[in-house]
Amino acid sequence: MNEKEITGPPDEELIRAALGGEEGAFRELMERYKSRAFAVAMGITGDADEALDVVQDAFVKAYYNLKEFRFGANFYTWFYRLLVNQAIDRWRKASRSRTVRLDESWLSGEVTLPESVAHPKTPEELAQNRQLSEALTRAIAGLPEYHRAVILLREVEGLAYEEIAEVLHCSVGTVMSRLHYARAKLREALKEFQEG
Amino acid sequence: MDCGKVVKILQDEIDGRLPPSEAAEVRKHLESCGSCAAEAASFRRVGELVRMWSASRAGEKSLQMDALWTRVQAGIEEKRSRKDAAAWARKWLWLPAAAALAVLILLFYPSGVNRAPFHPSSFDVAVEELDSDTATVALVDRGEDLPRVIWIMENDKT
Repeated sequence: MNEKEITGPPDEELIRAALGGEEGAFRELMERYKSRAFAVAMGITGDADEALDVVQDAFVKAYYNLKEFRFGANFYTWFYRLLVNQAIDRWRKASRSRTVRLDESWLSGEVTLPESVAHPKTPEELAQNRQLSEALTRAIAGLPEYHRAVILLREVEGLAYEEIAEVLHCSVGTVMSRLHYARAKLREALKEFQEG
Repeated sequence: MDCGKVVKILQDEIDGRLPPSEAAEVRKHLESCGSCAAEAASFRRVGELVRMWSASRAGEKSLQMDALWTRVQAGIEEKRSRKDAAAWARKWLWLPAAAALAVLILLFYPSGVNRAPFHPSSFDVAVEELDSDTATVALVDRGEDLPRVIWIMENDKT
């Protein structure tokens, strides 16, 4: 994660203030990471409602476990560990009754997408966007949960291999092999959308 | 650098994990090799698609995300209430337990006092007759380290 993206007081300052009883400082931490947390939870659970619950639970857990945070470490790797574990637990519990949802917001235009995706000009483009979104949802859901976590933490969060290893409590070699596997599987599943 | 080596370290190059000199060699190879360049582009495209998918799906709950603090605060309060209740229970749980114990003692005490009396036959007992019409004396010897007990039993005839 790029530290330069963060404006305002450093995380550690907010953590000290939160530990001193300032709830506002914890709120600022939450505001800082909530969108990224939701993106990761969304990718792992595959369901927006569950992802929202996961993010809420992870922040509540972080609030009560903040005293266990080791100063000098990164808050986000510490927090993502709580988050990923919550998300994987929830996904495992719900996986038996899971249904793949159709992603309508792909067409919302609020996010920065390639021209043909953000502003589909033809019914064919519109249909292709929908197909692409569904294919991605299926492809990501088809990965084993830890592979899913690795590719999201790398591609969406931009975490370094070492940071991912810390979040997932595994070796850098394991991160590398999971990431390579996940990329290969997604590339295979998205072959028809590869022309960009 | 040949294709086999490039394919092997291609993802390390994409993730910026190669030393600068090796990364430059890979890039140089990609400029001249269409097949490896296509391989690299396809991996990069996967990353782009995942990021777009994630950004798009993150927008699904933008309203709820704006109000996330309210949810988190509610979660914090709920957990605090549960913790307080658990702490209160830990502090005062002995009281009903002690009351229950007291009730049990009161209920069962009478049967306790009606237990069969200790009988000296389970010990080494020496019985000595006394010149008495009213009692028999038993000498209870429970071992060297224990005191001897003199057991006086009234005779039936009295």
